[in-house]
Amino acid sequence: MEEKNLNEKESLELISRMIRNTQQKLEKGNGAPFLIWGYTTICVSLIVWYLFSATGDPRWNYLWFLILIIGAPVTFLWNRKQVKGVKTYIDKVIGYIWLAFGISGVIVSSVAIFFYWPLPILFIIVLLMGTGVVITGLVIRFKPIVFAGLGGILLSTLCLFVKGVDSILIFAAIFLVTMVIPGHILYYKGRKQ
Amino acid sequence: MMFETLDPLLHSELRLAIISILISVEEADFNYFKEKTNATSGNLSVQIDKLNEAGYIQVEKGFAGKRTRTVCKITPKGVSAFERYVEALKGYLNLSGSKD
Repeated sequence: MEEKNLNEKESLELISRMIRNTQQKLEKGNGAPFLIWGYTTICVSLIVWYLFSATGDPRWNYLWFLILIIGAPVTFLWNRKQVKGVKTYIDKVIGYIWLAFGISGVIVSSVAIFFYWPLPILFIIVLLMGTGVVITGLVIRFKPIVFAGLGGILLSTLCLFVKGVDSILIFAAIFLVTMVIPGHILYYKGRKQ
Repeated sequence: MMFETLDPLLHSELRLAIISILISVEEADFNYFKEKTNATSGNLSVQIDKLNEAGYIQVEKGFAGKRTRTVCKITPKGVSAFERYVEALKGYLNLSGSKD
């Protein structure tokens, strides 16, 4: 392409072609945040479940913050490593969606843990994350993600019915369905493209 | 019937391509433009500078690892110029259509 003047039709064709070229395709990187947060949550859940079952000491609940302590920097470093030539509005919107859901999750968890409020915290977190996954799936127009999120929303009610320490295992299993499996599907699809 | 003149800054193949890309994304870097336009680095650099000087785009130079990275975003002035350009184009195309 050079610095040449165009006629009107050529101008319009060029505009259409360039806009069409920027249409976002799924990339393998799209699945990575799901995998980072999904696996971190499952691992931390299993650690808390094990320690809490073995000792009965509620102070192990503070370990839940490991999800944030591990997930946030890993996501930040991963984002820095990804030098994408372009950032679309979709990328920006998804970033804001997860920032909003993440802040809500941290506030609810902090209130429950530090103020000993008897909130059904596992249910609320799964409901929040499931909703975030559904919205992400709708924005990127990828059905497996939408269904995984809907599954998470429906399964979140299990956290209300299963009482005691074993509800943590249900919580971990739901994260497997809602984040890890769709994360792998997205990663695989992105790599194929 | 009066027609608005086509903005000479946008009525050039490479500059129009750059603005058309930026109108549909949040931001794009130099290599992305190179890939999408097949332009030479020198020419691309000159045209980006012209659009930047006109205030149509905002250019940020940073680093990606050890390499420099030039990232461009369209400004509100650039968006208005693009909209005016498309409106003017429509006028010309309607005229040539009515002649046929």
